[in-house]
Amino acid sequence: MISLVRYLAADVLRGQRYLAPLLVFLGVMGMLFSTDAGQPLEAYSGSAALLYPIAAWTAVVVATSEDVVRREITVVSAGGRSQVLTAAALVAVSFALVMALVAAVWPVVTNPHPYTFGEFLVGLGAHAVCALLGVGVGLMFARPVFDSIGRTVLAVFSVVVLTYPLGRATPLGWVLDALGHNQVSLSVLWAGVIGIALVSCAVVVGVRRA
Amino acid sequence: MLRDLTLEVSGLVVLTGANGTGKSTLLKIAAGVLKPTSGRVVRPASVGYVPERFPSDVKMSASSYLAHMGRIRGAAVGDVLERLGFVGSLTAPMSQLSKGNAQKVALAQAFLATGVLVLDEPWTGLDPAAAAELSSLLQGRTALVSDHEGHLAGATRVDLAGGHVTIELSRVVGLDALEALEGVRSVLSRGSSARVVVAPDRSDHVLAEALRLGCSVRSVR
Repeated sequence: MISLVRYLAADVLRGQRYLAPLLVFLGVMGMLFSTDAGQPLEAYSGSAALLYPIAAWTAVVVATSEDVVRREITVVSAGGRSQVLTAAALVAVSFALVMALVAAVWPVVTNPHPYTFGEFLVGLGAHAVCALLGVGVGLMFARPVFDSIGRTVLAVFSVVVLTYPLGRATPLGWVLDALGHNQVSLSVLWAGVIGIALVSCAVVVGVRRA
Repeated sequence: MLRDLTLEVSGLVVLTGANGTGKSTLLKIAAGVLKPTSGRVVRPASVGYVPERFPSDVKMSASSYLAHMGRIRGAAVGDVLERLGFVGSLTAPMSQLSKGNAQKVALAQAFLATGVLVLDEPWTGLDPAAAAELSSLLQGRTALVSDHEGHLAGATRVDLAGGHVTIELSRVVGLDALEALEGVRSVLSRGSSARVVVAPDRSDHVLAEALRLGCSVRSVR
Protein backbone atom coordinates (compact mmCIF):
# COMPACT_ATOMS: atom_id res chain seq x y z
CA MET A 1 0.00 0.00 0.00
CA ILE A 2 2.86 2.40 0.83
CA SER A 3 4.42 1.93 -2.62
CA LEU A 4 1.04 2.48 -4.23
CA VAL A 5 0.51 5.68 -2.22
CA ARG A 6 4.00 6.85 -3.19
CA TYR A 7 3.34 6.18 -6.87
CA LEU A 8 -0.01 7.98 -6.92
CA ALA A 9 1.40 10.93 -4.95
CA ALA A 10 4.37 11.17 -7.33
CA ASP A 11 2.01 11.06 -10.30
CA VAL A 12 -0.11 13.89 -8.87
CA LEU A 13 2.97 16.02 -8.19
CA ARG A 14 4.32 15.33 -11.70
CA GLY A 15 0.99 16.27 -13.26
CA GLN A 16 0.98 19.73 -11.65
CA ARG A 17 -2.83 19.93 -11.74
CA TYR A 18 -2.67 20.26 -7.94
CA LEU A 19 -1.14 23.71 -8.41
CA ALA A 20 -4.47 25.37 -9.25
CA PRO A 21 -6.26 24.53 -5.97
CA LEU A 22 -3.04 25.07 -4.01
CA LEU A 23 -2.48 28.56 -5.43
CA VAL A 24 -6.12 29.52 -4.88
CA PHE A 25 -5.81 28.26 -1.30
CA LEU A 26 -2.61 30.20 -0.63
CA GLY A 27 -3.92 33.34 -2.34
CA VAL A 28 -7.18 33.43 -0.39
CA MET A 29 -5.33 32.60 2.85
CA GLY A 30 -3.12 35.60 2.18
CA MET A 31 -6.17 37.81 1.72
CA LEU A 32 -7.97 36.41 4.79
CA PHE A 33 -5.06 37.11 7.11
CA SER A 34 -3.70 40.30 5.56
CA THR A 35 -5.40 42.28 8.36
CA ASP A 36 -6.64 41.55 11.89
CA ALA A 37 -8.77 38.41 11.42
CA GLY A 38 -10.32 38.54 14.90
CA GLN A 39 -10.25 36.25 17.91
CA PRO A 40 -8.19 33.03 17.50
CA LEU A 41 -10.96 30.48 16.86
CA GLU A 42 -13.15 32.98 15.03
CA ALA A 43 -10.25 33.73 12.69
CA TYR A 44 -10.00 30.02 11.91
CA SER A 45 -13.61 29.87 10.62
CA GLY A 46 -12.74 31.65 7.35
CA SER A 47 -9.82 29.38 6.50
CA ALA A 48 -11.79 26.27 7.55
CA ALA A 49 -14.64 27.31 5.22
CA LEU A 50 -12.06 27.82 2.45
CA LEU A 51 -10.38 24.45 2.99
CA TYR A 52 -13.59 22.50 2.36
CA PRO A 53 -13.92 23.28 -1.38
CA ILE A 54 -10.15 23.31 -1.86
CA ALA A 55 -9.88 19.80 -0.40
CA ALA A 56 -12.75 18.64 -2.63
CA TRP A 57 -10.96 20.12 -5.67
CA THR A 58 -7.67 18.50 -4.69
CA ALA A 59 -9.41 15.14 -4.19
CA VAL A 60 -10.81 15.34 -7.73
CA VAL A 61 -7.30 16.12 -9.01
CA VAL A 62 -5.89 13.09 -7.17
CA ALA A 63 -8.70 10.78 -8.30
CA THR A 64 -8.33 11.75 -11.96
CA SER A 65 -4.55 12.17 -12.12
CA GLU A 66 -4.13 8.87 -13.95
CA ASP A 67 -6.12 8.55 -17.16
CA VAL A 68 -8.50 5.60 -17.47
CA VAL A 69 -6.08 3.31 -19.32
CA ARG A 70 -3.15 3.87 -16.96
CA ARG A 71 -5.51 3.36 -14.02
CA GLU A 72 -6.40 -0.04 -15.52
CA ILE A 73 -2.71 -1.01 -15.49
CA THR A 74 -2.33 0.21 -11.91
CA VAL A 75 -5.41 -1.77 -10.83
CA VAL A 76 -3.97 -4.95 -12.34
CA SER A 77 -0.49 -4.29 -10.90
CA ALA A 78 -1.84 -3.55 -7.42
CA GLY A 79 -4.09 -6.59 -7.49
CA GLY A 80 -7.45 -4.85 -7.33
CA ARG A 81 -9.43 -1.64 -7.60
CA SER A 82 -10.07 -1.40 -3.86
CA GLN A 83 -6.33 -1.13 -3.16
CA VAL A 84 -5.91 1.64 -5.73
CA LEU A 85 -8.93 3.64 -4.61
CA THR A 86 -7.90 3.30 -0.97
CA ALA A 87 -4.41 4.53 -1.85
CA ALA A 88 -5.88 7.44 -3.85
CA ALA A 89 -8.05 8.35 -0.85
CA LEU A 90 -4.98 8.27 1.41
CA VAL A 91 -3.09 10.56 -0.99
CA ALA A 92 -6.02 13.00 -1.15
CA VAL A 93 -6.39 13.00 2.64
CA SER A 94 -2.63 13.50 3.09
CA PHE A 95 -2.59 16.51 0.73
CA ALA A 96 -5.66 17.95 2.47
CA LEU A 97 -4.15 17.45 5.93
CA VAL A 98 -0.97 19.25 4.88
CA MET A 99 -3.12 22.19 3.79
CA ALA A 100 -5.04 21.94 7.10
CA LEU A 101 -1.72 22.22 8.95
CA VAL A 102 -0.72 25.25 6.88
CA ALA A 103 -4.12 26.84 7.53
CA ALA A 104 -3.80 26.22 11.28
CA VAL A 105 -0.27 27.60 11.52
CA TRP A 106 -0.79 30.65 9.24
CA PRO A 107 -2.84 32.83 11.66
CA VAL A 108 -0.60 31.84 14.58
CA VAL A 109 2.17 33.63 12.68
CA THR A 110 0.21 36.50 11.11
CA ASN A 111 -2.80 37.23 13.36
CA PRO A 112 -2.05 39.89 16.02
CA HIS A 113 -4.09 37.96 18.60
CA PRO A 114 -1.98 35.47 20.60
CA TYR A 115 -2.81 31.77 20.23
CA THR A 116 -2.60 29.22 23.04
CA PHE A 117 -1.44 25.71 22.14
CA GLY A 118 -4.94 24.45 22.91
CA GLU A 119 -6.50 26.93 20.47
CA PHE A 120 -4.01 25.87 17.83
CA LEU A 121 -4.94 22.21 18.34
CA VAL A 122 -8.66 23.00 18.13
CA GLY A 123 -8.03 24.96 14.94
CA LEU A 124 -5.93 22.15 13.49
CA GLY A 125 -8.62 19.62 14.32
CA ALA A 126 -11.37 21.80 12.83
CA HIS A 127 -9.38 22.28 9.63
CA ALA A 128 -8.65 18.57 9.43
CA VAL A 129 -12.38 17.85 9.74
CA CYS A 130 -13.24 20.35 6.97
CA ALA A 131 -10.49 18.83 4.82
CA LEU A 132 -11.90 15.32 5.35
CA LEU A 133 -15.40 16.49 4.45
CA GLY A 134 -14.06 18.12 1.30
CA VAL A 135 -12.08 15.03 0.30
CA GLY A 136 -15.17 12.91 0.88
CA VAL A 137 -17.29 15.11 -1.39
CA GLY A 138 -14.56 15.23 -4.06
CA LEU A 139 -14.03 11.46 -4.15
CA MET A 140 -17.74 10.73 -4.03
CA PHE A 141 -18.28 12.37 -7.40
CA ALA A 142 -14.93 11.76 -9.11
CA ARG A 143 -13.93 8.83 -11.32
CA PRO A 144 -14.82 5.96 -11.10
CA VAL A 145 -18.15 7.04 -9.55
CA PHE A 146 -18.70 9.65 -12.28
CA ASP A 147 -16.81 8.94 -15.52
CA SER A 148 -17.11 12.42 -17.00
CA ILE A 149 -15.02 15.26 -15.54
CA GLY A 150 -17.81 17.68 -16.52
CA ARG A 151 -20.34 15.85 -14.37
CA THR A 152 -17.78 15.58 -11.57
CA VAL A 153 -17.13 19.33 -11.54
CA LEU A 154 -20.84 20.13 -11.70
CA ALA A 155 -21.72 17.73 -8.88
CA VAL A 156 -18.88 18.80 -6.57
CA PHE A 157 -19.54 22.48 -7.24
CA SER A 158 -23.27 22.04 -6.56
CA VAL A 159 -22.73 20.17 -3.30
CA VAL A 160 -20.09 22.63 -2.09
CA VAL A 161 -22.23 25.67 -2.96
CA LEU A 162 -25.31 24.13 -1.33
CA THR A 163 -23.42 23.23 1.85
CA TYR A 164 -22.87 26.83 3.02
CA PRO A 165 -26.50 28.10 3.06
CA LEU A 166 -27.61 24.91 4.83
CA GLY A 167 -25.61 26.10 7.82
CA ARG A 168 -25.90 23.92 10.90
CA ALA A 169 -27.81 21.28 8.95
CA THR A 170 -24.46 19.99 7.67
CA PRO A 171 -21.32 18.73 9.47
CA LEU A 172 -19.39 21.64 7.93
CA GLY A 173 -21.88 24.00 9.52
CA TRP A 174 -21.27 22.44 12.95
CA VAL A 175 -17.56 23.16 12.63
CA LEU A 176 -17.93 26.69 11.27
CA ASP A 177 -20.59 27.52 13.87
CA ALA A 178 -18.36 26.38 16.73
CA LEU A 179 -15.38 28.37 15.41
CA GLY A 180 -17.55 31.44 14.65
CA HIS A 181 -18.74 31.50 18.23
CA ASN A 182 -15.16 31.15 19.46
CA GLN A 183 -15.96 27.94 21.30
CA VAL A 184 -14.99 24.27 21.29
CA SER A 185 -17.81 21.85 20.56
CA LEU A 186 -18.20 18.08 20.56
CA SER A 187 -20.02 18.45 17.26
CA VAL A 188 -16.63 19.07 15.61
CA LEU A 189 -15.63 15.56 16.65
CA TRP A 190 -18.84 14.15 15.18
CA ALA A 191 -18.23 16.07 11.98
CA GLY A 192 -14.81 14.40 11.85
CA VAL A 193 -16.40 10.97 12.20
CA ILE A 194 -18.77 11.84 9.36
CA GLY A 195 -15.83 13.06 7.28
CA ILE A 196 -13.99 9.75 7.74
CA ALA A 197 -17.21 7.86 6.96
CA LEU A 198 -17.73 9.96 3.82
CA VAL A 199 -14.21 9.22 2.54
CA SER A 200 -14.61 5.50 3.30
CA CYS A 201 -18.03 5.49 1.66
CA ALA A 202 -16.61 7.16 -1.46
CA VAL A 203 -13.99 4.38 -1.74
CA VAL A 204 -16.63 1.66 -1.35
CA VAL A 205 -18.95 3.31 -3.90
CA GLY A 206 -16.01 3.69 -6.29
CA VAL A 207 -15.08 0.01 -6.00
CA ARG A 208 -18.69 -1.09 -6.57
CA ARG A 209 -19.24 1.36 -9.43
CA ALA A 210 -16.09 0.36 -11.31
CA MET B 1 -21.27 -8.88 -24.77
CA LEU B 2 -19.67 -12.34 -24.79
CA ARG B 3 -21.65 -15.44 -23.95
CA ASP B 4 -21.11 -19.13 -23.31
CA LEU B 5 -17.34 -18.88 -23.22
CA THR B 6 -15.01 -21.16 -21.32
CA LEU B 7 -11.31 -20.47 -21.71
CA GLU B 8 -8.45 -22.11 -19.86
CA VAL B 9 -5.17 -20.34 -20.43
CA SER B 10 -2.17 -22.61 -20.38
CA GLY B 11 0.93 -21.63 -22.32
CA LEU B 12 0.31 -19.12 -25.08
CA VAL B 13 -3.27 -18.50 -26.12
CA VAL B 14 -3.99 -16.09 -28.95
CA LEU B 15 -7.39 -14.44 -29.34
CA THR B 16 -8.45 -13.61 -32.85
CA GLY B 17 -11.63 -12.21 -34.31
CA ALA B 18 -12.97 -9.25 -36.22
CA ASN B 19 -13.22 -5.80 -34.68
CA GLY B 20 -16.01 -5.60 -32.16
CA THR B 21 -16.11 -9.30 -31.34
CA GLY B 22 -15.08 -8.66 -27.74
CA LYS B 23 -11.37 -9.44 -27.63
CA SER B 24 -10.41 -6.38 -25.60
CA THR B 25 -13.40 -6.83 -23.31
CA LEU B 26 -12.46 -10.45 -22.67
CA LEU B 27 -8.85 -9.44 -21.97
CA LYS B 28 -10.00 -6.77 -19.50
CA ILE B 29 -12.14 -9.34 -17.73
CA ALA B 30 -9.25 -11.81 -17.68
CA ALA B 31 -6.89 -9.18 -16.26
CA GLY B 32 -9.35 -8.07 -13.59
CA VAL B 33 -10.06 -4.61 -15.01
CA LEU B 34 -13.72 -5.44 -15.68
CA LYS B 35 -16.06 -7.73 -13.79
CA PRO B 36 -17.98 -10.30 -15.82
CA THR B 37 -21.75 -9.83 -15.62
CA SER B 38 -21.97 -13.55 -14.96
CA GLY B 39 -19.57 -16.46 -14.69
CA ARG B 40 -16.23 -16.43 -12.95
CA VAL B 41 -12.57 -15.84 -13.59
CA VAL B 42 -9.82 -17.68 -11.74
CA ARG B 43 -6.48 -15.97 -12.09
CA PRO B 44 -3.11 -16.02 -10.31
CA ALA B 45 -2.20 -13.23 -7.88
CA SER B 46 0.31 -11.68 -10.24
CA VAL B 47 -1.09 -10.64 -13.61
CA GLY B 48 0.67 -8.44 -16.16
CA TYR B 49 -1.54 -6.35 -18.41
CA VAL B 50 -0.91 -4.27 -21.51
CA PRO B 51 -3.93 -2.33 -22.79
CA GLU B 52 -4.69 -1.78 -26.45
CA ARG B 53 -3.41 1.79 -26.37
CA PHE B 54 -0.89 2.97 -23.79
CA PRO B 55 -1.57 6.64 -22.96
CA SER B 56 0.65 9.16 -24.68
CA ASP B 57 0.43 12.07 -22.21
CA VAL B 58 2.17 10.61 -19.14
CA LYS B 59 4.33 13.17 -17.34
CA MET B 60 6.30 10.60 -15.35
CA SER B 61 9.56 9.29 -16.80
CA ALA B 62 9.88 5.70 -17.97
CA SER B 63 12.48 4.83 -15.32
CA SER B 64 10.39 6.37 -12.55
CA TYR B 65 7.23 4.64 -13.78
CA LEU B 66 8.88 1.23 -13.98
CA ALA B 67 10.54 1.69 -10.57
CA HIS B 68 7.14 2.52 -9.03
CA MET B 69 5.48 -0.44 -10.76
CA GLY B 70 8.30 -2.69 -9.56
CA ARG B 71 7.85 -1.52 -5.96
CA ILE B 72 4.08 -2.01 -6.17
CA ARG B 73 4.62 -5.58 -7.34
CA GLY B 74 7.64 -6.18 -5.12
CA ALA B 75 9.64 -7.12 -8.21
CA ALA B 76 12.95 -5.94 -9.63
CA VAL B 77 12.85 -4.17 -12.99
CA GLY B 78 14.37 -6.60 -15.46
CA ASP B 79 16.03 -6.16 -18.83
CA VAL B 80 12.88 -6.28 -20.96
CA LEU B 81 13.29 -2.68 -22.10
CA GLU B 82 16.84 -3.32 -23.27
CA ARG B 83 15.88 -6.56 -24.99
CA LEU B 84 13.09 -4.78 -26.85
CA GLY B 85 15.59 -2.19 -28.04
CA PHE B 86 14.31 0.86 -26.17
CA VAL B 87 16.23 3.87 -27.48
CA GLY B 88 14.47 6.89 -25.94
CA SER B 89 15.36 8.80 -22.81
CA LEU B 90 14.52 6.92 -19.63
CA THR B 91 14.44 10.12 -17.60
CA ALA B 92 12.32 12.29 -19.92
CA PRO B 93 8.53 12.39 -19.50
CA MET B 94 6.93 9.44 -21.26
CA SER B 95 4.81 11.91 -23.23
CA GLN B 96 7.97 12.64 -25.23
CA LEU B 97 8.48 8.99 -26.22
CA SER B 98 7.60 7.62 -29.63
CA LYS B 99 4.61 5.29 -29.84
CA GLY B 100 6.89 2.26 -30.16
CA ASN B 101 9.05 3.17 -27.18
CA ALA B 102 5.99 3.93 -25.02
CA GLN B 103 4.68 0.48 -25.98
CA LYS B 104 7.99 -1.03 -24.84
CA VAL B 105 7.56 0.65 -21.44
CA ALA B 106 4.03 -0.75 -21.24
CA LEU B 107 5.38 -4.21 -22.03
CA ALA B 108 8.23 -3.86 -19.51
CA GLN B 109 5.78 -3.10 -16.70
CA ALA B 110 3.66 -6.12 -17.67
CA PHE B 111 6.68 -8.43 -17.63
CA LEU B 112 7.23 -7.49 -13.97
CA ALA B 113 4.39 -9.92 -13.25
CA THR B 114 5.38 -13.46 -12.43
CA GLY B 115 2.00 -14.97 -13.34
CA VAL B 116 -0.10 -14.81 -16.45
CA LEU B 117 0.31 -12.03 -19.02
CA VAL B 118 -2.75 -10.45 -20.59
CA LEU B 119 -1.70 -8.47 -23.65
CA ASP B 120 -4.02 -6.57 -25.98
CA GLU B 121 -2.35 -6.30 -29.40
CA PRO B 122 1.11 -5.96 -27.81
CA TRP B 123 2.95 -5.70 -31.14
CA THR B 124 1.30 -2.38 -31.94
CA GLY B 125 3.94 0.23 -32.80
CA LEU B 126 6.92 -2.13 -32.44
CA ASP B 127 9.58 -2.33 -35.12
CA PRO B 128 10.25 -5.79 -36.64
CA ALA B 129 13.23 -6.50 -34.37
CA ALA B 130 11.31 -5.59 -31.22
CA ALA B 131 8.28 -7.54 -32.43
CA ALA B 132 10.42 -10.63 -32.93
CA GLU B 133 12.03 -10.15 -29.52
CA LEU B 134 8.61 -9.85 -27.89
CA SER B 135 7.55 -13.13 -29.49
CA SER B 136 10.75 -14.64 -28.11
CA LEU B 137 10.12 -13.18 -24.62
CA LEU B 138 6.66 -14.74 -24.58
CA GLN B 139 7.98 -18.26 -25.17
CA GLY B 140 7.67 -20.26 -21.97
CA ARG B 141 5.24 -17.81 -20.40
CA THR B 142 1.55 -18.23 -19.78
CA ALA B 143 -0.17 -15.50 -21.73
CA LEU B 144 -3.51 -14.53 -23.23
CA VAL B 145 -2.81 -12.32 -26.22
CA SER B 146 -4.90 -10.69 -28.92
CA ASP B 147 -3.18 -10.76 -32.26
CA HIS B 148 -4.36 -9.95 -35.76
CA GLU B 149 -1.10 -10.64 -37.54
CA GLY B 150 -0.02 -14.13 -36.55
CA HIS B 151 3.09 -13.22 -34.57
CA LEU B 152 2.91 -16.29 -32.36
CA ALA B 153 3.27 -19.41 -34.45
CA GLY B 154 2.39 -22.56 -32.58
CA ALA B 155 0.22 -20.84 -29.97
CA THR B 156 -3.28 -22.06 -29.23
CA ARG B 157 -5.67 -19.88 -31.23
CA VAL B 158 -9.18 -19.00 -30.14
CA ASP B 159 -11.37 -17.26 -32.70
CA LEU B 160 -14.01 -15.36 -30.77
CA ALA B 161 -16.25 -15.02 -33.79
CA GLY B 162 -15.14 -18.05 -35.73
CA GLY B 163 -17.83 -18.82 -38.25
CA HIS B 164 -20.05 -15.83 -37.65
CA VAL B 165 -22.48 -13.48 -39.30
CA THR B 166 -22.17 -9.75 -38.68
CA ILE B 167 -25.39 -7.77 -38.82
CA GLU B 168 -25.03 -3.98 -39.01
CA LEU B 169 -28.12 -2.22 -37.71
CA SER B 170 -29.22 1.39 -37.80
CA ARG B 171 -32.17 2.92 -35.95
CA VAL B 172 -31.68 0.29 -33.24
CA VAL B 173 -34.72 -0.53 -31.15
CA GLY B 174 -34.84 -3.08 -28.34
CA LEU B 175 -31.11 -3.72 -28.02
CA ASP B 176 -31.61 -5.55 -24.72
CA ALA B 177 -33.99 -7.99 -26.38
CA LEU B 178 -31.49 -8.59 -29.18
CA GLU B 179 -28.63 -9.17 -26.74
CA ALA B 180 -30.66 -11.82 -24.96
CA LEU B 181 -31.30 -13.86 -28.11
CA GLU B 182 -29.70 -17.25 -28.43
CA GLY B 183 -26.71 -17.25 -30.79
CA VAL B 184 -25.79 -13.59 -30.25
CA ARG B 185 -22.06 -13.53 -29.52
CA SER B 186 -21.39 -9.84 -29.19
CA VAL B 187 -23.13 -6.51 -29.54
CA LEU B 188 -21.25 -3.28 -30.16
CA SER B 189 -23.56 -0.29 -29.80
CA ARG B 190 -22.68 3.20 -31.13
CA GLY B 191 -25.39 5.77 -30.70
CA SER B 192 -28.38 4.67 -32.75
CA SER B 193 -26.48 1.99 -34.68
CA ALA B 194 -25.10 -1.38 -33.59
CA ARG B 195 -23.02 -4.28 -34.84
CA VAL B 196 -24.34 -7.68 -33.81
CA VAL B 197 -22.16 -10.79 -34.25
CA VAL B 198 -24.24 -13.95 -34.44
CA ALA B 199 -23.63 -17.68 -34.80
CA PRO B 200 -24.40 -18.66 -38.42
CA ASP B 201 -27.17 -21.10 -37.52
CA ARG B 202 -29.05 -18.39 -35.57
CA SER B 203 -28.52 -15.45 -37.91
CA ASP B 204 -31.88 -15.80 -39.69
CA HIS B 205 -33.71 -15.85 -36.39
CA VAL B 206 -31.80 -12.82 -35.02
CA LEU B 207 -32.30 -10.91 -38.27
CA ALA B 208 -36.04 -11.61 -38.22
CA GLU B 209 -36.25 -10.52 -34.62
CA ALA B 210 -34.34 -7.30 -35.32
CA LEU B 211 -36.74 -6.46 -38.15
CA ARG B 212 -39.73 -7.36 -35.99
CA LEU B 213 -38.45 -4.96 -33.29
CA GLY B 214 -38.30 -2.18 -35.87
CA CYS B 215 -34.53 -1.96 -36.47
CA SER B 216 -33.21 -1.02 -39.90
CA VAL B 217 -30.70 -3.52 -41.30
CA ARG B 218 -27.78 -1.84 -43.02
CA SER B 219 -25.82 -4.96 -43.99
CA VAL B 220 -25.43 -8.67 -43.32
CA ARG B 221 -22.14 -10.40 -44.05
